[in-house]
Amino acid sequence: MSDISRVKPFRSPTDEAPLARWSLTIGVIALLCILLYAPLAVVFTEALAKGAGAALKSLTKSEASSAIRLTLTVAAVVLPLNAGFGVAAAWAITKFDFRGKAFLITLIDLPFSVSPVVAGLCLVLLFGANSTLGGWLVASGHPVIFALPGIILASLFVTFPFVARELIPVMIEQGRAEEEAALTLGAGGWRVFRTVTLPKIRWALLYGTLLCNARAMGEFGAVAVVSGKIRGQTATMPITIEMLYNEYLSVAAFTLAAVLALLALVTLTLKTALEWRYADQLAATHRH
Amino acid sequence: MTRPLLQRSPMPGFGLSMGITLTMLSLVVILPIGALLFKGAEFGVANIWQVVNSQRVWTALFLSFRLSLLAALINLVFGVALAWVLVRYDFPGKKLIDASVDLPFALPTAVAGIALTTLYAPNGVFGHLAQTLGTKIAYTQWGILIALIFVGLPFVTRTVQPVIEEIEQEVEEASATLGAHRLMTLRRVILPMLAPAALTGFALALARSVGEYGSVIFIAGNLPLKTEIAPLLIVIRLEEFDYNAAAAIGIAMLVIAFTMLLVINIVQIFSRRRIGLV
Amino acid sequence: MHIEIDEISKEFGRTAALHPVKLAIPSGALVALLGPSGSGKTTLLRILGGLECPSTGRVLYDGQDATGLSVQDRRAGFVFQNYALFKHMTVFENVAYGLRARPRNERPNEAEITRRVTKLLDLIQLPDIGSRYPSQLSGGQRQRVALARALAIEPRMLLLDEPFGALDARVRRELRQGLREIHDTTGLTTIFVTHDQDEAMELADLVVVMSMGRIEQIDRPVDIRARPATPFVREFITV
Repeated sequence: MSDISRVKPFRSPTDEAPLARWSLTIGVIALLCILLYAPLAVVFTEALAKGAGAALKSLTKSEASSAIRLTLTVAAVVLPLNAGFGVAAAWAITKFDFRGKAFLITLIDLPFSVSPVVAGLCLVLLFGANSTLGGWLVASGHPVIFALPGIILASLFVTFPFVARELIPVMIEQGRAEEEAALTLGAGGWRVFRTVTLPKIRWALLYGTLLCNARAMGEFGAVAVVSGKIRGQTATMPITIEMLYNEYLSVAAFTLAAVLALLALVTLTLKTALEWRYADQLAATHRH
Repeated sequence: MTRPLLQRSPMPGFGLSMGITLTMLSLVVILPIGALLFKGAEFGVANIWQVVNSQRVWTALFLSFRLSLLAALINLVFGVALAWVLVRYDFPGKKLIDASVDLPFALPTAVAGIALTTLYAPNGVFGHLAQTLGTKIAYTQWGILIALIFVGLPFVTRTVQPVIEEIEQEVEEASATLGAHRLMTLRRVILPMLAPAALTGFALALARSVGEYGSVIFIAGNLPLKTEIAPLLIVIRLEEFDYNAAAAIGIAMLVIAFTMLLVINIVQIFSRRRIGLV
Repeated sequence: MHIEIDEISKEFGRTAALHPVKLAIPSGALVALLGPSGSGKTTLLRILGGLECPSTGRVLYDGQDATGLSVQDRRAGFVFQNYALFKHMTVFENVAYGLRARPRNERPNEAEITRRVTKLLDLIQLPDIGSRYPSQLSGGQRQRVALARALAIEPRMLLLDEPFGALDARVRRELRQGLREIHDTTGLTTIFVTHDQDEAMELADLVVVMSMGRIEQIDRPVDIRARPATPFVREFITV
């Protein structure tokens, strides 16, 4: 028995040496601190640089409050549209076999590989005042560019794949058997969707919508191009942050940024909670 | 016999769901991108080339591409290391750190942009440190690189993590029983197994970085020929109401993005087929 | 090689997987560790291979203490239950892996590696599959490649964990014969783990029956059949 104490401590063949393990761990955490946590922290320290009172006061200014209102409006329109699209696309793609399915999925994923600025550019070219369609829309009093509809379309574009992407793998995995069973029992299409499919995909739907919301509220590039940055009218929260920052109104800019950063933290918390609690009902890549 | 367009199915709702899908897809994605391509066709290939071939545009495109590639490479190495640490090691606060990796996805780019600028500007914490070492980060290409690393950080980690979780312990043990030391096992057995997923993450990070705007413009300094990225040039052209030039640069960026995705997809299909995942 | 297991025990946390066991395996024997799951047979095999460290006791190879010998230096040819082939390498590279893993001064040159791998693929009667990937092989072929890979390091013993477990009955019978032949050709001390008493009885020279982390009986198959030492053994072999 005493023989073992003499040899060097046994290391499982699937472990790295403790020194390598610790230096790697400390190394990546240090990098995360520099790259992720420091920027997050600086948002709050800059917002509170002149005290909580100054920060809160900056939020009550009309600029900030109208930006918050606008961003909430955009999200309120984009989320249901995108969720509806995501469910419809996932239903069509996972419950039926048709030609060109792969191509359709590629098209849905397309916005991920298009620069937000290019997306904004596309909308300007389509709906801008100097295009045929845009000219007519402006003349009839319904401008899209430099107005709310343009911001909504830009936000829709950049968030387009989020919900569908989350739902498709989940619904493929769940298969069609339960829906087919419901049909044989005499349920109609809507009833099958509401009572069989929806309960199975609700957490995945929420997950996708959550990510969609974070992106919609935070989108900068595409919105910057189509909004015209009209103060109090088409300046969303991120656009207002830029304007305040460029005017050296640091506290106001960072306070608004802190609101969005808090939203990001809430998003991460909810997302993580969903991953832990409902892992089996989310796309496999999010499971831990 | 060719495959029918739609296999008959007792499942209801094809017309409705497909209708919604195609309507939204057309209105939100296809029509706008079509408008860009139409504008490009109208403007003509020769004219597009003339716009792109100017020194300023070329420099901006090259800058965006080069720094994105560098950022994605750094994220490739860092992402694999981070994924490994998060899956294999135990330490206090691990779950919190794991959850925080997605911060760049959740934090608006403008917020990240002003925060990074504040940190890395000469009067910021890290910027000051850099200055005492005799370099500048914000308002140089280093600043752009930092911002691009930030936005691309989660991609590789999130694609590689599930693969590491699924590595069978037996395979690593087999390598050890054959006489391989840990470093050789990592290099010859584990890294090749992670490669396809890491490549996917790399491609996603790259695609994201090339088009990134919000987090970069604050820290970039935006000096023509030095720190001016391609998306910014589009914005400048639009502000000058030069829609043709803006469209030309936009098309060039689309072409770069799709070529990149195509190349990476081909590499990926090849490598997956080889190890029998397809 | 003569292997001696001297009062080896193993605990995982508070549960004892193996109570102190004592066992001597003569050089060149073909030994089966037979028992139900949870009997400690795989743990014992993994300790012999250097994949686990025993809580107490010693392992002696030809009378020399090998307890603290690292898995890399042990040169135990190990065949895993699911073969653990490297999916991203060809069959050739899988078999050559152990040769390439040697320190530079002991590493054979390319020509020698090719020669040895070819010889091993001939030995397992699959001479033409060097350029294939594991995913392109049948279960039986994979098992044989795993065997060739383990033999490539010129092991001092051969350890196999449920080597036929993942195969259908017909292939299993064929490969039993194959293992017997390889054992007879190489003369290696061979230890395999199984829960299948037919397999153990048919193939092994010596059967070690285990239960609940203890050795119940060590004997030749005929003797175990004729004289089961404990009620457990009697029950287990008559099932």
